[in-house]
Amino acid sequence: MRARELYPGVYEIDILHATDDELMEISESMGLALSMEEMRRLKDFFASLGRNPTDVEIHAIAQGWSEHCSYKSSKKVLRKYIFGIPSKHALIVMQDDAGVVEFDENHAYVFKIESHNHPSAVEPYGGAATGVGGIIRDILNMGAKPIALVDPLFFAPPDYPYEKLNPGIKHPRYLLNGVVAGIRDYGNRVGIPTVAGMTYFHEGFVNNILVNAGCLGIVRKDKIVRSRVDKPSLLLVMVGGRTGRDGIHGVNFASRILGEKSEEERQAVQLGNPILKEPLIHVILEANEMGIIKGMKDLGGGGLGSVVGEMCYSGGVTAEIYLDKVPLKEEGMAPWEIWVSESQERMLLAMEEKDLDRLREICEKWDVEMSMIGKTKEGENLELYWHGKKVLDLPLKFVTAGVEYERPYKIKKVEKMQELPVEPNYREIFLRLLSSFNIGSKEWIIRQYDHEVQGRTVIKPLQGVIGYESHGDAAIIKPLYDSWKGIAITTVANPQLGEIDPYKAALYTVDEAVRNLVSVGARPHSFSDCLNFGNPEKEEIMGEFVESCRGLGEAARFLGIPYVSGNVSFYNEAFGKNIPPTAVLMAVGIIDDIRYAVTSDFKEEGNPIYLVGETKEEMGGSEYYRLIGAKSTTVPEVDLEELRKRSEELLKAMKKGVIRACHDISQGGLAIAAAEMCLGGNIGAELDLAPLGFMRADFKLFSESATRWLCEVQRGKEKEFESIVKARKIGVVSGNTLRVRDDSRWLFNVHLNIMRERWRAALRDYVG
Amino acid sequence: MWGEIMKVAVLQIEGTNCEEESYAAFKHFNQDVEYVHLNLVKRGKKRLEDYDILFIPGGFSAGDYVRAGSIFAARLKAIAWKELKKFVEDENKRIIGVCNGFQILIELGLLPGVDGISEVPEAALMVNDSNRFECRWVYLRKERDTSFSKEVPELIALPVAHAEGKFFTTSKILEEIEENRQVVFRYVSPSGGKAEYPWNPNGSLNDIAALVNSYGNVMGIMPHPERAFHWYQHPDWTRKKREVGDGYYIFKSLLHHK
Repeated sequence: MRARELYPGVYEIDILHATDDELMEISESMGLALSMEEMRRLKDFFASLGRNPTDVEIHAIAQGWSEHCSYKSSKKVLRKYIFGIPSKHALIVMQDDAGVVEFDENHAYVFKIESHNHPSAVEPYGGAATGVGGIIRDILNMGAKPIALVDPLFFAPPDYPYEKLNPGIKHPRYLLNGVVAGIRDYGNRVGIPTVAGMTYFHEGFVNNILVNAGCLGIVRKDKIVRSRVDKPSLLLVMVGGRTGRDGIHGVNFASRILGEKSEEERQAVQLGNPILKEPLIHVILEANEMGIIKGMKDLGGGGLGSVVGEMCYSGGVTAEIYLDKVPLKEEGMAPWEIWVSESQERMLLAMEEKDLDRLREICEKWDVEMSMIGKTKEGENLELYWHGKKVLDLPLKFVTAGVEYERPYKIKKVEKMQELPVEPNYREIFLRLLSSFNIGSKEWIIRQYDHEVQGRTVIKPLQGVIGYESHGDAAIIKPLYDSWKGIAITTVANPQLGEIDPYKAALYTVDEAVRNLVSVGARPHSFSDCLNFGNPEKEEIMGEFVESCRGLGEAARFLGIPYVSGNVSFYNEAFGKNIPPTAVLMAVGIIDDIRYAVTSDFKEEGNPIYLVGETKEEMGGSEYYRLIGAKSTTVPEVDLEELRKRSEELLKAMKKGVIRACHDISQGGLAIAAAEMCLGGNIGAELDLAPLGFMRADFKLFSESATRWLCEVQRGKEKEFESIVKARKIGVVSGNTLRVRDDSRWLFNVHLNIMRERWRAALRDYVG
Repeated sequence: MWGEIMKVAVLQIEGTNCEEESYAAFKHFNQDVEYVHLNLVKRGKKRLEDYDILFIPGGFSAGDYVRAGSIFAARLKAIAWKELKKFVEDENKRIIGVCNGFQILIELGLLPGVDGISEVPEAALMVNDSNRFECRWVYLRKERDTSFSKEVPELIALPVAHAEGKFFTTSKILEEIEENRQVVFRYVSPSGGKAEYPWNPNGSLNDIAALVNSYGNVMGIMPHPERAFHWYQHPDWTRKKREVGDGYYIFKSLLHHK
């Protein structure tokens, strides 16, 4: 690579005379993660200008063009399937840093989920913590107060043999403990409750764990701040943390495959500081209340570069930036490092000069630093200055608009088959399922997160008798002091179905999201999607992505639920293995009056139990088949019309107050759903599966067919319930055991204490 | 029936994060409550003596990076130690610290305060026996009526959310605490009996959940009354009817003068 120092710390890179090999060497040695094609495009562009670029310019462009910033592989597919689902209540959709949806006449809720996979695989504690920190800023910069966090996590099983690990890959147990600690220490310190999430174990995540983090906030409609500026001559003010060398090339890193040497890229992992974030939240909200913020964006992936670029580009202005005005953590940073650093806890505010002193006063109260680093202006070109010298002068569009690909894809054909195993010992298999990693109690994780702070969590993640709680389907937040209206939140993903059939898995995932929200009495309202996939340059992986998006789009469109924000994480590949396609949904529902909310725990001896929905012989991707090692590609089908009808019926019955408990049927099937309801209520039940018709008893118990719920109905209200909801009565709440028979044949009878012991033991030996 | 309107300061620094719920609880009773950042006291913009009640809310003040509460306590001491001592010596004034606030009161030497104020901490809130942060609901038995507890029923449920909540001190001081009847709330089992883990969530000596000083005007409590102010904040409200949350009664006691 030929370079010439222009000013101290700034180099001119000779690409005009570089051969193809030299272009790739430049991409490699500067850590750009750009392809040959992209490097050639870069060269042609500078040839047209008749000059060589500075290193600042090259880094700026590489950042803008990274998969992470530009969505270059996914945009076309997203546009076709995910974007543009019509909705009356969605206010800002897929434009700004988070989606904004109407809550009531005067308020909106703001939310988004995104991935922090690569950093967490390398440095689980810091990676997960900054994942939480980053998503909080996305909500904050819409002017909203963050009031809930969620965190779906995906690991290899914690008993994965050490000797099978690839070089440089960390053990899932280490990763699980590190990630949970990172989320705990960040989320708890910053004072935002972690109310929902999931922890899923599958061997396909051994090389690439997934750490997704979502946040929801509430804002008065007249205080919504856009992530763009459309006026020239506004000051750009950086507020919060200093800029350092942590998190250099994070986005480039995230757009690459992990390997043996990924450990050496720890520098790409940012360092979070919740105790800087907490006062920063106060500063931003107080300033916003005064109405002095004219545009705002948080500095996350891509750092200052992508923030200035996107903020101005989307508003139709450009900017000049004085890089020497940026407060630094350490001396001697090069201008390009300042431009791309992803140091945490920083926000960029656009404001009028006259308001600067008011902001300063708030910052002083909270001991938060601020610095005016540039201003917006009219024109085409972005200009960066370093101690008075111009070090970047490029059309903003070229840097920010990025590139877009139509990647070729191949859709895998699914041959339908299903093995028929010998009939199991029911008691034994039931208890094994109950103590399996994916079904067993997640209490150890959930309780380490403060899910009560702010006092808004009116339906908790753990539900039931105090000290005996079980998993709920969704949490409910009551965001406003003087309104009974609530927001239900859940997260869903089904990688075990995705690896068999990504399209049907996507339909099922939407179905499950709806099921979870309806279970607590909430009407599904909007989605945020976090799409975690392998290497999109491989046709079959791109095919998985396309099929997933098709399923997600089709189901949501049918139901009229928009995707209002989202994130794509590609390149979850290492050692030639890709993760199972994992489309994660953060789903939000609205309950008009939280007093009608329903929890999953059985309430009262003698109440009848009903099964809603059809149980089918669809064992593909089920926990039962995984556990016994049987094969099936027959995954659950989703009938969206049925989903809509059953959901409406259940919500209507809940409004009448006849449903005392409700739980969706998912992993482990009907048997596990019933067990969880018993555990939470600390009371038994007797079930008879005869009403399910003619089918193997193990299928009746463990099938994970879609669109099903179990309901406990208030005794004496059976007629009313049956007149509203299409359902079959299959049992009664009673005693202190779970007893199940299929007509006259008893399948198992297990005491609550034994169930609880086995359920709680699932992760016990692997955590802490 | 109510005394005059009280002036309440909800103290905060960076990392204080239960201030809103606490503020809301006082507001509910129409008290004159405001947020007071320590920086405002430091710059002379606010004075402690202007308030009747100091409320130190939960959170992770300054990140709790040294030891829970120690940075907040050190700053408060540096800024207003004299004023604070005067405040405590005025029997009409009260201080309540919840969770991190309790930790701060111990760090300040205001609790256990067997002989009033001590210059060095005489007890500690140590790392939980479970060695981790835990968010769960516990049952508390009221041990005596104080101006923080006189409206509170005998058995209540409140949430805890902390990593450092195990009350610990020397056996001599523990004895004095018991002799002085300074324990306000003890962890108990759901039926009101002796608490084993998780009912005593942290391993506190003598199942101590809340203490007053010997003057009776400073209370520290690990569980969060402000998070259980309304019935719908209880985790089992879909099972059990309540008029108000159990934390409500603590705020009610605070305001019910004399």
